[in-house]
Amino acid sequence: MVMACRNINRRKHIGLQQLSSLTETGRSFLGPVKSSKFIIGERSHESVLTCSILRLLENLDLNSSVGQLLHETVQSQKNAYGTGTNTLLFLAGAWSTAALECLQQDIPISVIVSVMSEGLKSCRKEVVPLQISLTTDIVDNTGDTRRYPFLGTLSIIPSPLVQIPSDWIQREKLRKDVSSQASTPSFSSRPSSEFSSRSSYSQSVPQIMLQAPQTNLFTNSYTSKSRLSHSRHFNKSENMSYQTSSEEYHNSHKCNDLVQLAVGLSHGDHSSMALVEAAVKCQYQNVRVRKKNCTVPFRFDISKISTCCLPGIPESFSCVYSGYITLISINYTTIIRELQNQPLRVVLIDGDFKENYHHLGFNGLGKVKTELESVPDQERQWVDYILEILTQLNVKLVMVRGNVSENLMERCMHSNLLIIGPVSHHVLQDFAEVTGAVQVTYATQLNEDCVGSDVNVSLWRAGQLNPKDVSKRVAILIKAEGVLLVTAVLTSPIIAQMQAKEDHFWTCAYRLYHALVDEKVFLGGGAVEVLCLSHLQGLIEQSHKKVDLDCSGQLLTTSWVASSQELYRPAVLKALAGGWHRYLSSVVYNTGTCSSESEASTFIQNFLQKTTGSGCPILYLQKEYNKVISGILNSGLPSKLKEILRVYDVVTPKMEAWRRALDLVLLVLQTDAEIITGAEYTQLNSQETEELLLL
Amino acid sequence: MSRVKAKKPSLCTYELLTKDIITKSISVLREIVSSCYGPSGRLKQLHNGVGGSVCTTSSSSSLFSNLSVIHPILKILTTSVQNHVSRFSDCGLFTAILCFNLVEHFQRLNLSSATVIKISKHLLSLCIDYLNSEICGCRISVDFSNLKTLLCLVQSILTSKPACLLNKKEADHISTLILKAFLLTIPEKATDHAILGKSIIIPLKDERVMDSTVLPGIVIEMPEVQLIKCPIKKLPSDALKVALFCISLSGDISDPGEGTLVISYGVSLENAILDQLLNLGNQLINDHVNVVVCQKVIHPALKQYLHQHHIITIDRVGISLMEPLGEMTGAQPIGSLNFISSTSYGYVKDLCTANFGSKHYFHLIPNDSSVCSLLLCNRNETSWNELKLACQTAQHVLQLTIREPLALLGGGCTETHLACFLRNKVASVPECVLKVNDCTEIEYKIVADAFCSALQSVACSLEHDKGKILIDRKYGHFWSIQPDFPANVKWQDLVLKCGCGLLGNQEDLNWCFLPSIHSFSLQNASIQQVTNSTDHLTLDCFTAKLHGLQVAVETASLILDLSYIIEDKN
Repeated sequence: MVMACRNINRRKHIGLQQLSSLTETGRSFLGPVKSSKFIIGERSHESVLTCSILRLLENLDLNSSVGQLLHETVQSQKNAYGTGTNTLLFLAGAWSTAALECLQQDIPISVIVSVMSEGLKSCRKEVVPLQISLTTDIVDNTGDTRRYPFLGTLSIIPSPLVQIPSDWIQREKLRKDVSSQASTPSFSSRPSSEFSSRSSYSQSVPQIMLQAPQTNLFTNSYTSKSRLSHSRHFNKSENMSYQTSSEEYHNSHKCNDLVQLAVGLSHGDHSSMALVEAAVKCQYQNVRVRKKNCTVPFRFDISKISTCCLPGIPESFSCVYSGYITLISINYTTIIRELQNQPLRVVLIDGDFKENYHHLGFNGLGKVKTELESVPDQERQWVDYILEILTQLNVKLVMVRGNVSENLMERCMHSNLLIIGPVSHHVLQDFAEVTGAVQVTYATQLNEDCVGSDVNVSLWRAGQLNPKDVSKRVAILIKAEGVLLVTAVLTSPIIAQMQAKEDHFWTCAYRLYHALVDEKVFLGGGAVEVLCLSHLQGLIEQSHKKVDLDCSGQLLTTSWVASSQELYRPAVLKALAGGWHRYLSSVVYNTGTCSSESEASTFIQNFLQKTTGSGCPILYLQKEYNKVISGILNSGLPSKLKEILRVYDVVTPKMEAWRRALDLVLLVLQTDAEIITGAEYTQLNSQETEELLLL
Repeated sequence: MSRVKAKKPSLCTYELLTKDIITKSISVLREIVSSCYGPSGRLKQLHNGVGGSVCTTSSSSSLFSNLSVIHPILKILTTSVQNHVSRFSDCGLFTAILCFNLVEHFQRLNLSSATVIKISKHLLSLCIDYLNSEICGCRISVDFSNLKTLLCLVQSILTSKPACLLNKKEADHISTLILKAFLLTIPEKATDHAILGKSIIIPLKDERVMDSTVLPGIVIEMPEVQLIKCPIKKLPSDALKVALFCISLSGDISDPGEGTLVISYGVSLENAILDQLLNLGNQLINDHVNVVVCQKVIHPALKQYLHQHHIITIDRVGISLMEPLGEMTGAQPIGSLNFISSTSYGYVKDLCTANFGSKHYFHLIPNDSSVCSLLLCNRNETSWNELKLACQTAQHVLQLTIREPLALLGGGCTETHLACFLRNKVASVPECVLKVNDCTEIEYKIVADAFCSALQSVACSLEHDKGKILIDRKYGHFWSIQPDFPANVKWQDLVLKCGCGLLGNQEDLNWCFLPSIHSFSLQNASIQQVTNSTDHLTLDCFTAKLHGLQVAVETASLILDLSYIIEDKN
C-alpha cells in the first residue's frame, strides 16, 4: 500500500480552480428565466432535460475530491431546505474565483478567510431590514378564492434590475385604450384605519434613521418589524426626507395574503406555484375538517404532499387533489368500477408483500431442511393463506410500502381486491392516522384492530386520459375523510421535461414552506444582493479611513493577521463583492434583457451607483421597486394586481446557501495538500505521479 | 498439489537515518503534520482516489488513522502518536511535530546517539520538573468555581481546528454546550470517589451549528415517526419501568452454527421462535414494563403485541448507547429470552418525543443521573466529523483537567518559555550532571541547543502565512508580526498580543527574533494575577501536553537508537 500526497501550489490553487470550473456549468440555471440542459447518457441513449443543479451534478463524473465536496455541500443544502442549490453553486464558483484573485495579490490565506467570513456576516446583518414579515394567519386569510387568470401570461418580473421591454408597456397601453375604461386604477383599497393601528410600535424609528443614515440602518430595533414601503410619492431630497419617508414606512404593510406570497415566490414559474398554493389551501381545509374547533394555528406539512407524474399528457391536466393519486395497471379498471362509491376497509403493509420477505435485521435461521421429499409449492400456499386472512377481515384495499408478489397481485385481482404499492411512508402514515389502521409488517399480524375503514377509491379522470399516453396504466384517487395528504398531478406533453417539472414543483413547494416556517420573506428580485453590494462598498470606503479595530468577531485575535487585516480588507471585500456582482449580472443576463454579460454587468454597476449615491440604499431600493410596479400598473393592468406584483425571496435557505457556499470555498482555500490513501502504486497514472510525493 | 517456493532472504538495512529516501519521507511527513498545526493551520484532503468519501481535516487522529505509511521508522512515530491520542485526545500534532524536529535536529549533530539520548533524557527531566513545580511560569491553575478558564480551554481546542468552519459566535455556542454537558456529567451526590457520567454526541448533520443543544438524559433517533397513541401508564412512583435488551429480538437464530437443522413437515421454526418472543412479551406485560429498549431489532409482531399493551418499543439503538442506557436507567442488559430477573429492570422519569431539524427523537429523561446528550449540528459531513472530533477532545480534556486542575499557556508561549528556561538552566552545567551523563560540557550544550531549537520550531509551526516570530526577553512568550514590516517602526507598535493572549504590547518586554541563541534570565513573576484580568486566553491541557512532551522525546530517542531494520520479505 502506498500513500501519495499532492501539494497544492499556493498561487494557482488547483482546488479553487477546479471548484470554479465545476460550477461554471450551472451558470444558466440562475434566475427566473432558466435555460435547460440536455443530459445524454452515451451508453443508454437516454436523455433528460434539466435545469436543476442537483440533477446535473448527479450526472457529472465527479471523481475529484473537490467535486465530491461540492456535491456533498449541494446535497446537504437540498436535504435541509430543498431550495437554494443554484445560488449555492453559483456563489461557490464566484467566490472561489474571488479567493483566487486575492491569492494572486499575495494576500495571506488567514486574512482572506477572516475578512471574507466577517464580510458575509456583516452583510447578513445588513439585509435584515429588507425582511417582510408574514402575518401568522396568512393561510387563514384565503377565504377569498380569487384567481388571476392573466398570471400565466404575465412574464415580467417586477424588479428594477430587470428592464421591462418598452414595447410590452406600449402594447399593454394600447390594449387598455382599446378596452373600456371600466378598470380605473384605484390605489387605496385598504382602509386607512389599518395603517394607523399598526404604526404604534415603530415610534422610535425616525430617530434611528436620522442618527445613522448610512450604516446598520435599522438592524437592532427594527429587525422583524420592517415593512415594505408604498412610497410612490416619496421625494428624494436630502436628510429631511427621511422623516417623511419613515412615515411612509409605517404605512407599509405586512404580507398577509397567501396568493400574494405565492406569486412573489414563484420567480416566474406561476404554473408550479399555483399548484403549490392550491395544495396548501387544500391541506388547510382538510385540517379544519379533521380537527374541528381546533385553535392551533395551521402549519403547512410538506411531508403530506405527494406527486403523481403523468408524462405525455397536456399541461392543462395539472391539478391538485386531496387524497392519494397514483397510477395502476389498466387491468384493475373493472375492479375499481365495482369498488367505487362504497366505503372500503383497508390494511397497510409496512414492507414488501412477498412470501420470502423478512423484516430488517432478520438474519435467517441458518440451514433448515424440512423432513419431506416433495415440498409443496410454498408460494401458492402463502398466497392462499394471505387471501384467506384478507377475505376474513373483509378488506378490499391493501396499501403496501414495498414491492408486491406478482402471484398475489393476480390472485387478488380475481377476488376483487386492490393492492397498491409501492407507497411512501408518509402516505401510509397519513392513512393510518385518519382511518385507524395499524401498519403491520406481515399479513399474519393482521387482526380486526389493524383494519382501517371508510376509504374511497375512484378512477381519476377516466376516459379523459388516453391510456396509451401513460403506458397502459390508469390513475386512481384514494380518499378518506380528513386525510391531510394532497397529491399534485404533474403533467407534461414532453416526456423529457417530466423530471424537471417535478423538480420545479418541489422547489416552489419548499420555497413557500420555508417562507411560512420563517414567517418572513425578503424583498426579492436582486434587492438583497444589491444591498449587500452597496454595504460592502461602504465598508471598503470606510476601511480606507482609519477605523478602530474590532476583533470581537474574529477567531485569531493574537496573531499579526488580526492587525494586518486593515491593509488587505478593501481588496478582499472587493473580491467578495465581485462574487455577488457576477451573480446579479448572470441573473440579469439570463432574463434576456441584456445582450451580453458585460452589458448586464454595466447595468448593475450603474444601478448600484445610484443606490449608493442616494444616501439611504434601503429606501432607494424600495422606491425603485414601487416605481417599477406603478410603471407596470400604468400600462393598464387591473389595479388589484398591485398587491401581487411583488417579488419575494426566502430568508433562511438563502442565508444558508450563502454561508455554505463561502464555507466550501474557505474549506478548499485552506487546503494545501491532497492525500491519496491506500492506492496501489500502479493505480496512479504515470503522468500524475510526477506531481505526487510518495511515502 | 502444493507448490514449493524458495524463501526470500530477509532484508537488512542499516545506517537508517542517513538514507536519502528515509530523510525525504520524514521531511514530507513533517511538512504535512506541521502545516496542520494551530488555528490557521492548513487542511488536508484525505481520500482514496477512486471516489471514496473525502475527509478534510487538520487533526492528528484522523490524519494518522488514514495514513498508511510503509517505512518502519515512520510507523514507530505514527504509532506512538496514535497511542498518545487514544489516551489523551489532545496534543497529537504537538507530539508528532516535536518528535520530527528532535529527530532532525539530533541527526545533524555529530555526536554518538547514545550520548544524545542520555542528555536529551536529562533535559526532558529538567522540563518535567519545571512544569510540575510551583515556580513554573507557563502554567496556571484552573479554578472550577470560575468557568472562564474552562471556557478558554474548550475554545482553544475548537478554534485550533479550522475545518470545523465555526465563526466566533458558533465557537462560543459550542464551547458553552460542551461545558454545560460536562457539568451535567458531574454527579450531584458526591461520595468518596465520584464517577463522572457520560455525555453522548448525537449527530444532526445538514443543520446550522447554532441549532446544537444539550439535553439531560438520552436522545435516540426514531427511524420513522412512531405514533404514541395512548398516554403511558406510569408506576405509582411516577417513573417508567425500562427493560434493556442486548440480544436481538428479531426472531432469528443468532448463532446457528455449522450443519443443517432437520425439522419435520408442518413445523415452522419461525413461528416457534415467535411464540417464544411473545411469551417474553407476556412476562414484560406482567412485570408492568413501560418501555422496552433493544440494542438490535425487535420482531414487528412482538412490537405490535407490546404496543397493544401500551408498551413503547425502541429498537436498533446500537451498541454505543447500551452502556449509557444501563448507567442512566440502572437496568441490567438482558441477554436471554427465557428468564428475566426482576432486578434487571431500570427506571426513567419520563419519555417524550422531540423534533430536531427534520428528524424525530425519543427523549428518555432520567430521575437523577449524570448522563446527557449533546445534539451536534454542522452544515456538512466533513465539517461535522471534524467538529465531533474536536468536541470529543474537549470533553476528554475537561475530564483530565478535573483530575489535575492545571493548564499550560497555549499559542506557542509554553514552548518558547520552556526553551528559554532550558537555555538559561544549561548556561552553567554542574559537574555532577556531566558525570552522570558521561559527556563533556560542550557536548551537553550542543544537545541542549538542539533540544531548545526543536521546541522553538514547534512554536514556529503555528505560523503559516510567512509571518516573523519574536520572543520577549522578559517572559519568553511567543509573538508574531507581519512578514514585510517597515524598517523604522518599533516592535512595540507591530505586535498586538502574545500567542496565548496573556501579555499585551507593554513597553518593557524587549523583543528579539526567535532563532535566538542568547540566553537570558526570565522573570518569575506570578502570572496567576494577570490571568484573571485577561478576557481570552489560549490554553492547553496540562496532562496531555506533559505526556506528549515525554512521548516525543522518548520516541525520538528510540528512532535514533535504531541501527538495523530486518524485514521479512516473504
